[in-house]
Amino acid sequence: MNTLFTRRGFLKTAGIITAGVTLGRFDDLVASENKPIIFPEKKKDLILLTSRPPQLETPLPYFKELITPNDALFVRWHLANIPTSVDLNQWKLKVNGNVDEELTLSMDDLKNKFEKATYTAVIQCSGNGRSFFEPRVPGGQWKNGAMGNVTWGGVRLKDILAGAGIKGGSVEIAFDGLDTGPLPSVPDFIKSLSVDKALEDDIIIAYEMNGGRLTMLNGFPVRLIVPGWYATYWVKALDTITVQPKQFDGFWMKTAYRIPDNACACIPGGSKPQKTVPINRMNVRSLIIDPADGQKIKTNKPTEIMGLAFSGGYSIKDVLVSVDEGRTWKEARLGQDKGRYSWVQWFYPWRPAKPGRYTIMARAVNSIGESQPMESLWNPAGFMRNKIEKIEVNVG
Amino acid sequence: MKTPLFLIIILMAACVYAQDASIKKDGSTYSIELPAVRPELKPGDGKERTEAMCNICHSLDYISMQPQLSRGGWTAEVNKMINVFGAPMSEDDAKVIINYLTIIYGKKD
Ligand code: HEC
Repeated sequence: MNTLFTRRGFLKTAGIITAGVTLGRFDDLVASENKPIIFPEKKKDLILLTSRPPQLETPLPYFKELITPNDALFVRWHLANIPTSVDLNQWKLKVNGNVDEELTLSMDDLKNKFEKATYTAVIQCSGNGRSFFEPRVPGGQWKNGAMGNVTWGGVRLKDILAGAGIKGGSVEIAFDGLDTGPLPSVPDFIKSLSVDKALEDDIIIAYEMNGGRLTMLNGFPVRLIVPGWYATYWVKALDTITVQPKQFDGFWMKTAYRIPDNACACIPGGSKPQKTVPINRMNVRSLIIDPADGQKIKTNKPTEIMGLAFSGGYSIKDVLVSVDEGRTWKEARLGQDKGRYSWVQWFYPWRPAKPGRYTIMARAVNSIGESQPMESLWNPAGFMRNKIEKIEVNVG
Repeated sequence: MKTPLFLIIILMAACVYAQDASIKKDGSTYSIELPAVRPELKPGDGKERTEAMCNICHSLDYISMQPQLSRGGWTAEVNKMINVFGAPMSEDDAKVIINYLTIIYGKKD
């Protein structure tokens, strides 16, 4: 990034305050100091994409761990007024719209009146890897760090909806968080799911990540978890659930976050899709984490290539590794299985006998036979990148 | 078995250390403070108008992070900001801003 970032201590005054929630306004003064910019509850080495609203990417070395720590998990907001202060005594989760009985639930209600569900699931931004698209496309220029693997704990959405009672003829459920647009003309960030999808067992409203509360920048106090689907649906700082008698047509569903309506969600580079549908389930991906791209390795020294693989809700069955640029492939050993929504680590022992440059590739296959393409698939929004990734190492 | 006192002290110190001071808890209220950051754009004709208009809804790194877009690409972005998000801009503003973006953050060809 070529912009010079500056910083001047911290905000002095808070922004808008309503019902126990403060939405952050950012100080507009240019600083003279030139220190690293650190976001609250986050590691200082996260990669800064944008500052208002914050978008922070996780550097690849954190993915050597099976579980991504809370302070290393990526951050992605759309609208500049994000919650910076929440009073749990005042915050409520509201369920309204086409229901028999409107609900207003406190954090204690969520924790005490409903059964708790816990599982590990990959969270991945729709645009993860967008900066590698060719031809390039505008949007958040993520490398591959807009993802993480987190153990989420919370309440099943279907239990809450059962409490409210969905009226007959309902079509969709809309989810709105505490964040708001900087001007009234900016469409509020609201996402929707069909009633059928919303009633699936594994969709939860999470109040826990990795056993602790949610970090503020990842959606404190609760966020929606739609495991297997892209994170655009995982509405942060969720506070309103509205049952809709017809299809919800807000900007972030009807116009944004859409993919070409075909099996590969792809069209020729630079063209426009005829028909689009809302983005949904994640495709299969694998990444090589260790060694890093460009790393030096000693000739004849036994090493282990390590990476991760995941797919949208179907377990990874195989990971194949090539150390000769795709000419031959061998199976990697898979690590601990934490369920079908988690990523799995893979390991491949390697002892390069001859010096030189080697191209390492990895390709995952899931339990329903889905895999990854050799060439990247293109769409105008830069979504769903999943080509077989390559790294190069120098042996000598 | 009794835990030795020095161990308790070390554990307590570790606990205090592990607590993240960047979020504050006051009763039932959790608060963070966002760092004050104000990225700037590169010099060029129209920089001031672009900075004033494009900083209203988001920081200017939304611009500097983009790949080099063509004139058509930047025109589409500016039109999207006006038509979809309601950026309050005159036709003259749009012309100056698109020119600036194309020359300074555009494809060199
Ligand atoms: C009225 C509010 C508003 C103004 C003013 C505004 N933008 Fe935006 N802009 C947005 C919103 C909302 C987004 C989407 C943010 C997101 O998804 O993270 C956005 C996103 C962008 C993006 C990312 C790509 C995309 O299309 O999502 C670029 C580039 C951008 N704006 C450029 C500009 C430029 C250049 C200007 C000045 C002419 C400008 N913006 C002024 C609201 C605005």
